[in-house]
Amino acid sequence: MFPGIDGFAWDTGHIVFLGAFYTVLLAIAATVSLAAMRSRRDFRLHHEQAIRWQAEFHDLPASCRRCRHELSGEVADRTCGLGFDCRRCAEHARLLAARSGGLPKAAVSDGVAAGFRVLADRRYHRGHAWVRREPDGSAVVGLDDLGTRLLGEPDAVELPPVGSRVEVNGTGWTLTRNGVRARILAPIDGTVTAHGGPDCGWALRVKPDGDGADDRHLLAGEEARRWTAREAERLQIALAADGVGAALADGGVPLDDIARAITPSELDAACGLVFLEP
Amino acid sequence: MDAPLIVRGLRRCSTRRFLAWMLPWAALLGVGLLAIGLCLVKGLNQTNMDNRFAFGLWIFLDLAVIALGAGAFFTGFLLYILRRHELSAVINSAVVIGFLCYSGAIGVLMVDVGQPLRAWFTFWHPNVHSMLTEVTFCITCYLTVLAFEYLPIVLKNRQLRRIPSFLVFEFELHKVMPVLAGVGTFLSFFHQGSLGGLYGVLRGRPFAFRDGFAIWPSTFFLFILSAIAVGPSFVLLTTWLVGKISGRTLVRPGVFQLLARISGWLLAVYVAAKCVDTLLWLNRTAPRTGAAPYQFYAWEPFGTWVLFVEIVAFGLAPALVFLSRRLRARTGWLVGAATLACAGVVTNRFVMTIQTLTVPTLPFEPYMLYWPSWQEVATFLAVVAYAVIVYSLSFRYLALFPQERELQQG
Repeated sequence: MFPGIDGFAWDTGHIVFLGAFYTVLLAIAATVSLAAMRSRRDFRLHHEQAIRWQAEFHDLPASCRRCRHELSGEVADRTCGLGFDCRRCAEHARLLAARSGGLPKAAVSDGVAAGFRVLADRRYHRGHAWVRREPDGSAVVGLDDLGTRLLGEPDAVELPPVGSRVEVNGTGWTLTRNGVRARILAPIDGTVTAHGGPDCGWALRVKPDGDGADDRHLLAGEEARRWTAREAERLQIALAADGVGAALADGGVPLDDIARAITPSELDAACGLVFLEP
Repeated sequence: MDAPLIVRGLRRCSTRRFLAWMLPWAALLGVGLLAIGLCLVKGLNQTNMDNRFAFGLWIFLDLAVIALGAGAFFTGFLLYILRRHELSAVINSAVVIGFLCYSGAIGVLMVDVGQPLRAWFTFWHPNVHSMLTEVTFCITCYLTVLAFEYLPIVLKNRQLRRIPSFLVFEFELHKVMPVLAGVGTFLSFFHQGSLGGLYGVLRGRPFAFRDGFAIWPSTFFLFILSAIAVGPSFVLLTTWLVGKISGRTLVRPGVFQLLARISGWLLAVYVAAKCVDTLLWLNRTAPRTGAAPYQFYAWEPFGTWVLFVEIVAFGLAPALVFLSRRLRARTGWLVGAATLACAGVVTNRFVMTIQTLTVPTLPFEPYMLYWPSWQEVATFLAVVAYAVIVYSLSFRYLALFPQERELQQG
């Protein structure tokens, strides 16, 4: 194995064979060490939230990763590859430029999509959180109507401490219902300045980074309504009984507390799809 | 009860039903561990191997599972090096199968060689001129690679991924996976070849001895070719079997079609090479060593039918099915052909291990048949039980088939 060990000789056989063996061992050790060192660097630079989202987004079914421009009919079939961060998407910018009206305008009035309220004063994140800009420059964030009705009255709420940072697609806050823990993705980057609650209608008040004006990744107006309608369809299909196939309701309104009407395992599966957590 | 451990959105049977499935396999593993204990404590007198039959059921098992486990490295090679992204649907399962095949083979080898506490001797004082040394080194290194390929799959478990350090390490490990896939391909290529070369250099065994290229006998290349031809078939077969047992659709039909096509082409090349090799061996190599080729098949349990079955029924037939678009589109034909292809490589390893030792090498020696003892059989079955148990746990708690959830939602 090494010079000096019984049986070792400086001949071609030993040099070639052991040389190849040590090279392979070195390659394996270097590769794994590289992964370990990069992990350490990621922690030092606080990248874990971004990595979590990247890893989770990759594991989501393709049906959860549809591009927003499918809803408007601008593209027929497109899967997002950027974790719903339209701010970095060249295709999004190209499609917006091609539109005559530019960015989608916020709706002037509140609307309803598949029985779920879509409000005109807020912008929606694909993970079912919303953002509303306040006159003082801060923003309040909360859970949209579909998410609220799905979880009903949560058994526990975990909010990030005041003063902590939240970042887009990182963990905003968590809710637990019937033993199922749902992680809600933060819709904006910023610092938490206050906690809300059911009475306020919002969960967190956030001081956005910079002027917080870049909300190209959020949906509003007609686009938000179409998206909510599709999300409602996905939820119904996910909750369909095993073996029945895709079936949609032909009337009625959504329950206020869907979690109460379904089993914890159904709620768990639905939360995975709705809140984008595989 | 174990719902928090199951991948979100995947439907799995109840805990009670799962335990009922695991119980017989656990019992089999228990009996096997008893047999292994007897062999390690009392020695190889617990087996029916002797000086003539120094390679028995265990070496046959080692060779067979290592060939079938080639699906792991070959699928990794196709996915990470040749960028066949469709195969990401089965790569996790292929890695788990590869890990089980190789760890099972090494476990049995430890029992066969005996004195596991002295296993390090083979590394410390290697005989660099032995094919077996190359096999030992390559298999050990490749098992290490497989363990690092399996690790990210385990770390993606629903509870484990909540731990930030696990999630980040898994993410970074996944990024370097092409390097590990490349190293795995290099190692597998050589140890599959060396396992074949091991037989091809046996000058004293005309049934196995072959001519070749440079220092490598033809069996070196045939073992590599047969392993990479059958690896995708075994991945196809196991995926179908797991889908049947669990009652789930795990991958899109296109994935099966791709695996079948790859297996078909490689199998066709292998059958052609095997035919050429057999003709050369029977007409040139064997007569030159003084052996009469007809004697190889003169003893009835191992007549020429074995050769026919190995090459035609288990080689050519599945290759033709895989290459026919019409036939491979039908699940029955597809699965049947994959079964035949896997049976083919198992038969080949049986022939090279057992039949080689059956044929006498001296004029006064009789043909001999060997029957394994119960301890050998129990050890063999323990490996099967170990593989089923670990695979079942992996299927239940890890995301082995990324397309399953989507297909479940219709």
